[in-house]
Amino acid sequence: MFTQFYDNLSIGLATAFSVSNLFYCFIGVFLGTLVGVLPGVGALAAISLLLPVTFHLDATSAIVMLAGVFYGASYGGSTASILLNLPGTPSAAVACLDGYPMSRQGRAGVALLMTTVASFIGGSIGIVIMMLFSPLIVEYALKFGPAEYFAMMVLGLIAASTISSGSALKGIAMVVFGILLGTAGSDLETGVARFAFNIPELYDGVSLVVVAMGLFGVSEVIASIRTIRRGEVDRKSITFRSMIPTRDDVQRSWKPILRGTGLGSFFGALPGTGGVIASFMAYAIEKKLSKDPSRFGQGAIEGVTAPEAANNAADQTAFIPTLTLGIPGNVVMALMLGALTIHGIVPGPQLMPKHPDIFWGLIMSFWIGNVLLVILNLPLIGLWIRLLVIPYHLMYPAILMFVCIGVYSVNNAPFDVFMVMVFGVLGYAMRLLQFNPAPLLLGFVLGPLMEENLRRTLLISRGDFMIFLERPISATVIAITVGLLIWAAVGSYYARPLKAVAAKAP
Amino acid sequence: MLTRDYRDIIGGGSLLALGLFAGLYATTEYSVGSVQHMGPGMFPAALGFLLAALGAAIALPALFRPGLLPRPEIRPLVATAASIVLFAATIRTAGLVPAVILLTVTAALGDNKLGWIAIALLSAILSIFAVLIFIVGLDMPLQLFIWPNRWL
Repeated sequence: MFTQFYDNLSIGLATAFSVSNLFYCFIGVFLGTLVGVLPGVGALAAISLLLPVTFHLDATSAIVMLAGVFYGASYGGSTASILLNLPGTPSAAVACLDGYPMSRQGRAGVALLMTTVASFIGGSIGIVIMMLFSPLIVEYALKFGPAEYFAMMVLGLIAASTISSGSALKGIAMVVFGILLGTAGSDLETGVARFAFNIPELYDGVSLVVVAMGLFGVSEVIASIRTIRRGEVDRKSITFRSMIPTRDDVQRSWKPILRGTGLGSFFGALPGTGGVIASFMAYAIEKKLSKDPSRFGQGAIEGVTAPEAANNAADQTAFIPTLTLGIPGNVVMALMLGALTIHGIVPGPQLMPKHPDIFWGLIMSFWIGNVLLVILNLPLIGLWIRLLVIPYHLMYPAILMFVCIGVYSVNNAPFDVFMVMVFGVLGYAMRLLQFNPAPLLLGFVLGPLMEENLRRTLLISRGDFMIFLERPISATVIAITVGLLIWAAVGSYYARPLKAVAAKAP
Repeated sequence: MLTRDYRDIIGGGSLLALGLFAGLYATTEYSVGSVQHMGPGMFPAALGFLLAALGAAIALPALFRPGLLPRPEIRPLVATAASIVLFAATIRTAGLVPAVILLTVTAALGDNKLGWIAIALLSAILSIFAVLIFIVGLDMPLQLFIWPNRWL
């Protein structure tokens, strides 16, 4: 077993250290830090924007780059939180609570350094966990049949749509809408072009690039044009000297960092949870364990480091279900899965044995990416601070330009650009009506796989749905799904008075 | 505060309509088959009716509770949508540079922070960026300008 582990490592290292992969890893984490720092442009929009570029790359470089954007954004996200009290990414929202008070006390440098250290430790431990557990899961998952797959996908989608934010009912509706959208295009078995309405451009359905860019890129621009604010940063206050933490800072931080990492690693691997929930929980736990909880919110260093460690660990372990089972736990992972599918690689238990270079190369690139991020975030902090003050009204026409040219370049089709507008307006309407576009995209990516596995299952069982309950693994998964649904239903019943109060507030 | 939660009535109602349409379209246009041998219509039809049910479940309770209706930001919405459509319409007929300039100018009108000179400068800078990144850098088969005599 150890020799195999060693072989895998060397395959991974050889792949990750190839010149092109190093280059795309750098591009990924650089862009990730950039969009993480800039409020109003998220990792999701950035990854959607980069999808067309990945058509020109080989599969490993593509996934290495996209992954870099994802975890790079988590590093960068906390910078805007600390300096401006504006979270660059949702998972960095917690960093505002104590990070911004620290910068008002003139300790922004310490906060920035300690979050980078915490992110690095959290990320590194997350990678180790991924390396150890993935092979075990793959070995187990190779025994799965279509029934198990279908059940797991249903669980993943239900978890992702009910646990996250907002109404569970609306989340599930969005998943169903997404799956329905995914059925458009030619049917796998008969070749019938479904929902094409005699428009030749729709015979193959809508592409992931179009849906993702519309829902996350364009609608974000529409919503941000009038609402985004920019702050002023005192650039000179952040020097190397100001970054040196006191002995007290370090002593207060190392245990919270480890606890945060543990939480993050666990929640990252579960479907539907991930970095945002892990970081909020890490904050709550540190506050509870603290001897003096009143320090929290006043610039407590552990209120910054624990959540940062948690969300970076979660970012790494989120790859476990995606790469070992082919079931993405969140919408960014769904995009990764889509990017691999574009290259003809089906993520799932077969990925590791069939394409060890992609799997282990990606994991090894995480190490390189994390080291690059430390370099990008500490010595180059001045660059990012300068970018923080670029006004949004100069930025959004550029974003729209990248969206349009990017989408057009995939098929040289003006029709695709037009569809991006349709999905952009749809996404904006969904925002206004408080529907979350993330479950829609998850359903869209998983839909075709679900249909395929469902059809196969029922063909094997001669149309008997009991097969899902007769097979022990799928029965367990279905039981968990039903439990989640009941929990969500009960939860929404009790939460109703609370939500009514919250609705009155603004 | 309105007497009814129009936000969820509109949202749920649209999903109800969309679901019913998809379900009925799939059952009438495509063969449904049997559960054992599903036709192309079975899965979309089931999803359509499920979506309709979920839409009804969202809209119905909203009829009996007060709520707020958010106002869309019309100007950014129209400017953004128009800029994308103009790009789609001109990229094949006029070329990359005119398409980018049209896109930038229209998009910039979504906000009132930029004057005409600033907009002109921004569109010039973005056109240069577009050419450098996509044609020089990524070597994409895009044409800079397409002169009118080509249309004839």
